[in-house]
Amino acid sequence: MIAGVAGRLVRISALLTLPIAISVILVSVFTRAGTHVLFTIGPFDATTEGVDFAGQTLVRLFAISTSIGLFGLTTEPRSFVLDLERRGLSPRFAFVALATLEAVPAMVERANIIASAQRARGLDTEGSVRARLRGLLPLAGPVVLSSLTEVEERSLALEVRAFGKPGRRELLWRMPDSTAQLAVRAILVLALIAAIGGRITNTFPRLP
Amino acid sequence: MLQLSGVSYRYAGYSNEVLHDIDLRLDDGEIIGLVGPNEAGKSTLCLVASGLAPASIGGSLRGSLTLDGVPAAGLATHKLAERVVIGFQNPNTQRSGIAATVFEEIALGPMNLGLPVAETVERTRAAIARLRLDDLIRRDPQRLSGGQAQLVGIASLLAMQPRHVILDEPTAQLDPAGTRLVGEALRALATTGTSLLIAEHKTDLLDGLCSRIIAIDGGRIVLDGPTATVFDDPRLAALGVEPPARARLARALGDRGLEGSIVEDALAGAAS
Repeated sequence: MIAGVAGRLVRISALLTLPIAISVILVSVFTRAGTHVLFTIGPFDATTEGVDFAGQTLVRLFAISTSIGLFGLTTEPRSFVLDLERRGLSPRFAFVALATLEAVPAMVERANIIASAQRARGLDTEGSVRARLRGLLPLAGPVVLSSLTEVEERSLALEVRAFGKPGRRELLWRMPDSTAQLAVRAILVLALIAAIGGRITNTFPRLP
Repeated sequence: MLQLSGVSYRYAGYSNEVLHDIDLRLDDGEIIGLVGPNEAGKSTLCLVASGLAPASIGGSLRGSLTLDGVPAAGLATHKLAERVVIGFQNPNTQRSGIAATVFEEIALGPMNLGLPVAETVERTRAAIARLRLDDLIRRDPQRLSGGQAQLVGIASLLAMQPRHVILDEPTAQLDPAGTRLVGEALRALATTGTSLLIAEHKTDLLDGLCSRIIAIDGGRIVLDGPTATVFDDPRLAALGVEPPARARLARALGDRGLEGSIVEDALAGAAS
C-alpha cells in the first residue's frame, strides 16, 4: 500500500499546497520584518527571518495537506460513512453523506443522456466556445429540473422502505479491523496525547 | 384487508379533486388490476391506497383508508411501511442511491425495519430467488438496464414482506420474459396472503393474474368486477384500454359466429 500511495500522496500534497505556498513565500519573505536582509527587490527586503517563517509555515501546510491526502487515498468514502453509522452516526446523516457522493456520477450520467438528446435535435455542444455557451442553458435546465422532480419520488420510495424508522439499523456490512490496525490506532492516539502534553508542558521547542 | 371508503383526493395547490368517491376493498391474498386511460387517476389512487397521499405528499383527502382495520390517518410513514408498500413506474427513483451492490439495495428495506442481520439476509435471499436475480447480486445498482432495475425495485419491496403491495406499472420497462417472471412472483406472493393492487397497461398480464379488475376514468370507478367480465365489457375499449388478447380473440371469433369458449379451451390447454 505504501509503495502504491506514497508517490501519489506526495504529488497530491504538493499540488494542494502549491497555490497557498506561493503567496506564503512572497508575503513572508518580503514583508516580514527582520534584521538580516538577504537581497532587495524595489521597496521590498527579503529577510532571513522571513525565509525562516515561510519555511515553517510551508512545513505545517504540507503536513495538513498530507494528512488530508492520505485519508482520501486510503479511505473508501462509503466504507467510512457506514462504519461511522455502525459507531453511532445517525442513519439520516449517513444517507445524506452517501447520497451526495453518489449524486455526482448520477448527475454526470444524466447530463450525458440529455446532451445526446439535445445534440440529436441539432444543439451544437462541440463547436466554438460561444456555441458551447449557447448550448449550456438547454442542457442545464433539463438536468436540474429532472433531478428536482425525481427527488420527491425518490424520497417517497425511501419512506416506503421504512427509512424514517427511528433507532439503529443492523448493518450487513462490517469493516475489517485487524489487531494490527487496532494497535496502530492505539499508538497514534498515545502519540497525539504525548504531543499535546509536550506542547502544554513546553517539552518540545515552541515554533515561532 | 386494505379498504378505501368514500375517498376523494385533491393535490396540494390544486382546486380540483382528482379522485372522486372511491370505494375499494382489497382482501388478503386478492390481486386487483387497475386499468384506465392516461391521466385517469391510477397513480394517484396508488399513492392514496399506499397512505403516502396525503401523509407524505400533502393534499387533502376525504373518506378513509384502513389497513387491516387500523385507520392509516395518523400512522407514521415507517409504520405504514410495515403494512403497505408501493412500487413506482420509474425504477431509477426506486433505487436508494446508497447501496454498492444489488444485494445491499434489496436488503435496505428489511435493514431499515431494524430486523436482525440473519432475518434481513434471509428475506433478501428469498426476494432474490423469487425474481431470479442471483446473477445480479454483486452488480452496482446504478449500472443496471431499465428492466433489471425494475426487477430489483420489485424485489426490494418483496423483501419488506408487507401485507399489502401497490404497484404502479411494475412491468413498464420489462420484456415479455421479465413480465412473466414478475407475474409468477406476484402470484406466489398472493398465495402467502399478501394482497396486491396493480395499475398496469399490459392487460394480458392482469388477465392471467387478477381475480378482479377496476377501471377508472376521470378519477371515478367506472367498471368493477371479475376479470373476465370487465375485460369482455365493450365499454373498456371506449376508455382507451385495450382488452387482453384472449378477450379480443374471443370477441373476433364471436363476431364470426364461432364459440368464444374455443379460446378459453385453447388457452387452458396451452397452460396445462
